[in-house]
Amino acid sequence: MATTFKTITANDTTNTRTLLHEAIPLTGTIASGTYSDENIKTFSHGMFESVYDYPYLSSSANHIFDITHGYSANSTLSSSAAIQNAKKINIYNQMAAVLVGHDATGSIQAFDQDGDIAGGGTKSEEVFFFNFSRLLTKDEIKKDSFRLTLATGSVSGDLKGFPLTLGDYGAASSYLVNSPAGEYGVLYTSSATPDPASGVGLIYYQAGVAVVSASVFNGTMPGAEATASILGPGYNSSSYSNLATGSSIQVLADSIRDRIDNITFNNTVELNSTVYFCRANNNEFNYSSNPTYLSSSQIRVKNTTSDNPVSYITTVGLYSSDNELLAVAKLSEPLKKDPNTELTIRVRLDY
Amino acid sequence: MAFLDNSGDIILDAVLTDTGRLRLAKGDGSFNITKFALGDDEINYELYDKNHPSGSAYFDIEILQSPVLEAFTNNTSTLKSRLLSVSRTNLLYLPEIRNNAADGIAENSTNGIVSVAVDQSTVDALKDADGNLLAGIIDSAELDRNTTDKRRLLFDQGIVSNALGAIGKVALDADLVETQYIVEIDNRLGYLADPTTGAQATPSFIDDDNIASYYLSLTTNSSYFSSATLTESSVISGPAGYRLSLLVGGSTNLNSSTYLFTQLGSTSQITPISTAVDLYHIDTTIRVTGATTGFRVDIPIRFLKQQ
Repeated sequence: MATTFKTITANDTTNTRTLLHEAIPLTGTIASGTYSDENIKTFSHGMFESVYDYPYLSSSANHIFDITHGYSANSTLSSSAAIQNAKKINIYNQMAAVLVGHDATGSIQAFDQDGDIAGGGTKSEEVFFFNFSRLLTKDEIKKDSFRLTLATGSVSGDLKGFPLTLGDYGAASSYLVNSPAGEYGVLYTSSATPDPASGVGLIYYQAGVAVVSASVFNGTMPGAEATASILGPGYNSSSYSNLATGSSIQVLADSIRDRIDNITFNNTVELNSTVYFCRANNNEFNYSSNPTYLSSSQIRVKNTTSDNPVSYITTVGLYSSDNELLAVAKLSEPLKKDPNTELTIRVRLDY
Repeated sequence: MAFLDNSGDIILDAVLTDTGRLRLAKGDGSFNITKFALGDDEINYELYDKNHPSGSAYFDIEILQSPVLEAFTNNTSTLKSRLLSVSRTNLLYLPEIRNNAADGIAENSTNGIVSVAVDQSTVDALKDADGNLLAGIIDSAELDRNTTDKRRLLFDQGIVSNALGAIGKVALDADLVETQYIVEIDNRLGYLADPTTGAQATPSFIDDDNIASYYLSLTTNSSYFSSATLTESSVISGPAGYRLSLLVGGSTNLNSSTYLFTQLGSTSQITPISTAVDLYHIDTTIRVTGATTGFRVDIPIRFLKQQ
């Protein structure tokens, strides 16, 4: 029986899972400087600000991350006199509820310095949040790839002085899984000090959120200036604590944005694929229904009946049982098919 | 649509078609790949040079250099010609599907295309001095009035050459006889109808581009097929299969409104007797594909409506 289709059996398909990684470099000049802050979108509610890769009024702009700041109601900085005190607490609680979760009594748990929530220990009660766009993080941030370099010294002189690089060093083999938002790792100031007690933040891989403790600006970090200030230009006499209580979230976000030197990470895309093995045996697909294949019904590529038929494959079509074309694959060059050849064409569909 | 880079290893550029995405989005299990076909749309077999002076290795040198386009996502724009599996390798002739305009409806002499008058006023306006609808036009107002083959689309299958023997004298190989056809038509414009009764056929499915596919089978749609394999035909001179007969009707959209005519069509005139009739028209194509051999024929057709 002549036919133009061949059935795909269970032995002709397989499923695979592939992780693809892209390197995402974000230079500090995107966060501050390149576009005179026209790529920084602020909001009247003042809860956070957004960083774009181009002036955000342009349709070409892509949202890359948000910055905000919060502290716990238990923080020593929390005071009714503090500017936007309630909003800073609300931000902290909102992010903690999502990323850390609730305890047995339903209370929101605080960010833990080493991630050992059950074991108690030091809590990070004043933090900055970097919420990266899904456009950048895709399915998740690759473990042990996140690096954030901040200038932690005073602003006078070199704005980018005393840089500290925070990273999830060693996280590929030592990440944590006790968050309701997925896996996360601890940020350290150096690959030489991946001691949980020296953690200065947390990086949530699937959520795409970096939580950076304000302690990086207290002047005690290795390599930091003793009289540290987080502030950007015009605020260089203030310490973090003065700023946290005396300024709005937007000012805090502006300040730390001006101190970003570099952010790099690798994102991850999880590709689930179905591979269809399209097998053409020696006695299959040797003729064609191409309008040019025949001349007055005679096959052009044959002179006599003893000549082998020949066809040329450029396309593979995957069909449903009711003959609807569901997927199509093109070869980059024609592939010769005759009775002396057998082919297996591997078509992969990614989802 | 760009060409694929063919400077290195053979690569495969695979995409879901629009219909594939639609079915995937439905989530009802209709996205289920069960079979494959191979195509050669870009290949021009006229470039195969059986007499190349340098020998057989050079017969297909030009074919193998044909650039290949990226994949189209439109399901009706690709795999128009499929490769055919026949276990025998000694075939020298293959049957074709030909529109038989000599025995069936031919192009209207004025507009040069087979036409369909979509309503009664158009039919009345396009009658000749004897009161008959002009030749080359199907009466869609009442399809059962198209009682002769001269008002029907006829498609004959067989070998055009008589090198294997004359029609009616030598039988076409049974495995090459088409007993099922797929007919595609723009569902916004028209529909298929039974050639004997004029009854509207039901499409097997309508895709996301409004292309309706009708599956016509010898066993379940016998009224569309000749009662036996052909013994005479104006377009087939060798071993032959069956004749497929079709009627085409204008859709309700075209019958009751000029909207699609103004959106998709144009205007023209036909002079049936002495006075020109102003008409709206839309040109489209009907595709008839043999389900067994994959050979196909495209027939341009024009829907007419009096202004």
